[in-house]
Amino acid sequence: METISTENLVKSFGKIVALDGVSLRIEAGELFFLLGPSGCGKSTLLRCIAGLETADSGGIRFGERDVTGVAPHKRETALVFQSYALWPHLNVAQNIAFGLEERRVAKADMKRRVEEALKLVQLAGFGQRAIDQMSGGQQQRVALARALVVKPRCLLLDEPLSNLDAQLRLEMRFEIRRLVKSHGLTAIYVTHDQEEALSMADRMAILSHGRIAQIGTPEAIYRTPHSANVASFIGETNLIAATLRETNGQTVTVATVAGPLSGRLSDPEWRPQVGAAVQVSIRPEAWRLSGQAGDNVIGGNLVERNYLGQRIQYWIDTAAGRQQVVEINPWQIHSPGEVSLRLHVRPEDVLVLQETQAPNPQDRSN
Amino acid sequence: MKRRTAILLTVITSLLLAVFFLFPAWMVLRQAFEGHRADGTFFFTLEFISMVLRNPIYQEGLINALVLGVASTLASLLIAMPLALVGQRFEYPGKRVLGVLVLAPLILPPFVGAVGIKQLLGCNGALNALLIRLGAMDVRVPYDWLANGRFFGIIAMNALHLYPILYLNIAAALVKLDPTLEQAAQNLGCPPWKRFWRVTLPLTMPGVFAGAAIVFIWAFTELGVPLVFDYARVAPVQIFDGIKGLDKNPLPYALSAILLLVAIGVFVLSKWAVGSSRHGSTPRPQGRASAARCGPWRAAACSALFLGVFVLAVLPHLGVVLLSVAGRWYGTILPEQFTLHHYLEALGNGLVVPSIHNSLLYAGSATLLALVCGLAVAWVVERSDLRCRGWLDALVMLPLAVPGLVMAFGYLALSQEGKVFHCLIGSGGSPFLLLAIAYAIRRLPYVVRAAVAGLQQSNPALEEAASSLGASPARVLRRIALPLITANLAAGAILAFAFAMMEVSDSLILAQKTQHFPITKAIYTLLGTLGNGTELAAALGVWSMVFLTTSIVGATVLGGTRGGVLKL
Repeated sequence: METISTENLVKSFGKIVALDGVSLRIEAGELFFLLGPSGCGKSTLLRCIAGLETADSGGIRFGERDVTGVAPHKRETALVFQSYALWPHLNVAQNIAFGLEERRVAKADMKRRVEEALKLVQLAGFGQRAIDQMSGGQQQRVALARALVVKPRCLLLDEPLSNLDAQLRLEMRFEIRRLVKSHGLTAIYVTHDQEEALSMADRMAILSHGRIAQIGTPEAIYRTPHSANVASFIGETNLIAATLRETNGQTVTVATVAGPLSGRLSDPEWRPQVGAAVQVSIRPEAWRLSGQAGDNVIGGNLVERNYLGQRIQYWIDTAAGRQQVVEINPWQIHSPGEVSLRLHVRPEDVLVLQETQAPNPQDRSN
Repeated sequence: MKRRTAILLTVITSLLLAVFFLFPAWMVLRQAFEGHRADGTFFFTLEFISMVLRNPIYQEGLINALVLGVASTLASLLIAMPLALVGQRFEYPGKRVLGVLVLAPLILPPFVGAVGIKQLLGCNGALNALLIRLGAMDVRVPYDWLANGRFFGIIAMNALHLYPILYLNIAAALVKLDPTLEQAAQNLGCPPWKRFWRVTLPLTMPGVFAGAAIVFIWAFTELGVPLVFDYARVAPVQIFDGIKGLDKNPLPYALSAILLLVAIGVFVLSKWAVGSSRHGSTPRPQGRASAARCGPWRAAACSALFLGVFVLAVLPHLGVVLLSVAGRWYGTILPEQFTLHHYLEALGNGLVVPSIHNSLLYAGSATLLALVCGLAVAWVVERSDLRCRGWLDALVMLPLAVPGLVMAFGYLALSQEGKVFHCLIGSGGSPFLLLAIAYAIRRLPYVVRAAVAGLQQSNPALEEAASSLGASPARVLRRIALPLITANLAAGAILAFAFAMMEVSDSLILAQKTQHFPITKAIYTLLGTLGNGTELAAALGVWSMVFLTTSIVGATVLGGTRGGVLKL
């Protein structure tokens, strides 16, 4: 178990810049997520840490050791591939034993550890099966066992669940987190599935265009995204253009075309001037449909609804544009055509963002 | 680390190719374009080329070679296209076996087959005997098919030997063709024959071009078949005959240079045609159209088509087999008596046994060399990020464009007393190294394509996974990469071995002493021997075909036809 840090990593493929100066520090024993849309550089970052790609510049450290120029097979990481990369010419036990053989583990010890690894992923007795006799979920667990059995310094997972069906994916989330935590591993997990990240991560980094847009715990990133980009990538949000009217520490009031709203600043170190152009982010589930007039209320007409059982989505036209509203466990259901509805939002749910993204966002959440 | 290895491999393989491929080809060009002044200096001249072009005998030879090349290519296309289309579209009995059988002619040496053809079609051959028996021909005036139809005989032998190259290329293009493209045309009301012209054919053109270029170059520079047919008025044979006066006469060099330039021109043209056709890059289809089941009559017709082509292609070789066990076969349909005497006699012949030993040694070493180089090149091309890997890939395919005859000629010139390659001649004038290298260089493209196909099919993540679990690059190669592409490598190696065993031009030109003759030169020599030379040659031919059949069966078992060996 050790920390992993990268300093200013840059990697480009021809004209495409995949990593544009990435610096981060992952604590020992942390389950850290790299999250972002496809093409944001998250897989490249993981492959650089595994040593499978060589960065153009910048450095990587495992603990105090600089591993920037170290060959992949000497890094003692273990990578779980999206395609699992199980060798078809070896059976399940041989696949799992491979890394142990490379580490020259004694025969008897090896046999015991392979058995243990199989038991750990609930595949005891499957050792002699050929890879193509295993289902997708089983293959996924073999890949996991193969990586865990060598007791790596760092476990790297590249979208390991993306080829599984929804039910299995849910089960494996808890399974992977349990295995990582019980082994006390430092693990980096790449995904584009935000729910996976929110439910499993200790901390996560949002990548966008080869840069880190924000680092933080799942709650911090969901509740306090630093930019409109992050806000709309993690969950959904309504963005409204506004002007800063009044500040009082973190609490501010902004003017929108639909009237004034009180809210809070997204970034505690940001000191905006009164009169500055800002953006307001309000999550769909933060809006409440209420009949009363008052503070933080704007009016609108219902144009569309989408009933989903446990929740209902409404689209409501307001002076500040079309707002998406989600009600959990809805009782009263409104119909399109209803006019003069009132939307209310708590000040703590009104997040005031800088209009443009900060050029070099730092990790400010802890 | 990986990058350094890639650079090292690139340098070594490029050097090998430069010394043993570009340099000899360059030598031939130099001799053809270089004049000598009295004071010992050189100058560039087109004199020799123009002398060749003005010489009516060489003119005829060149035109005949061109006509043979074009006609053989068209004839191959006529055989290959229907086979490929039928094979892709329909289900019929014995489809898999027949699909392999029609590939067999490629490694059955036409040089040996031509011996059989003479027995079948000669004045006193089997065909005439059959016609006389049927009363369709007068015994006193037998028709000399060979003398009158020699030209067509050569075309037929070439086409029946080379069509598998086109067949494989077209079949590969058809597999890549998205079936929905044809279905869309059908859905828009296009009838089947029109669909072929307007959709299928244009989209398979890259495959046709790639295959046709190889077939053309092969037929255009074919030496063995015209030689056995005693047809001297064609450029390759004229070059072969010109070897005797090599030292003084620059004209054979000039003639070789012309063959080389035409071949390279056609090769480049085909690459350009494939490259400029945007159809080459159609994405791989998601679904595949399953072959249509058809009625019993139509299915039988499909099987019959494949079987017919196969029988026709191996008929000359059946003639060889019969000839090798024939006691007396003169003026009858089948031999009058059968004997194993020729085999026994062959075993005592001073040419036969050493030649088998020599051929196995030369071809075996060549295969090993091609395998090592081919694997190195394929790895650089598929797994490294070197900028120059595209160039390396192109360079390594170039031996396909250079006629074996021209290369052999360059090697011969360079291995003379006092020249650079003379050190490669072993004790007693053994051409072992020279032939092994010459064979290997010209078979390299097949091995490289096979290995590249294997590496393309196997996911790089499989190798990365091993690397990430602590395996060093050498261990990754041995434990993961090689086992996964064994089938492809075996298929490529076996094809290279078969082609090397039956190589004609290098063998005839470079092996000069009886005890060093490979099988092909021994056959050629035996054919010119009086007495039962022909039968002995046939017996030796059968031996060689036994080796080759064993290897193609091996190749099929190991890699099937999926190895991508000939999908150039």
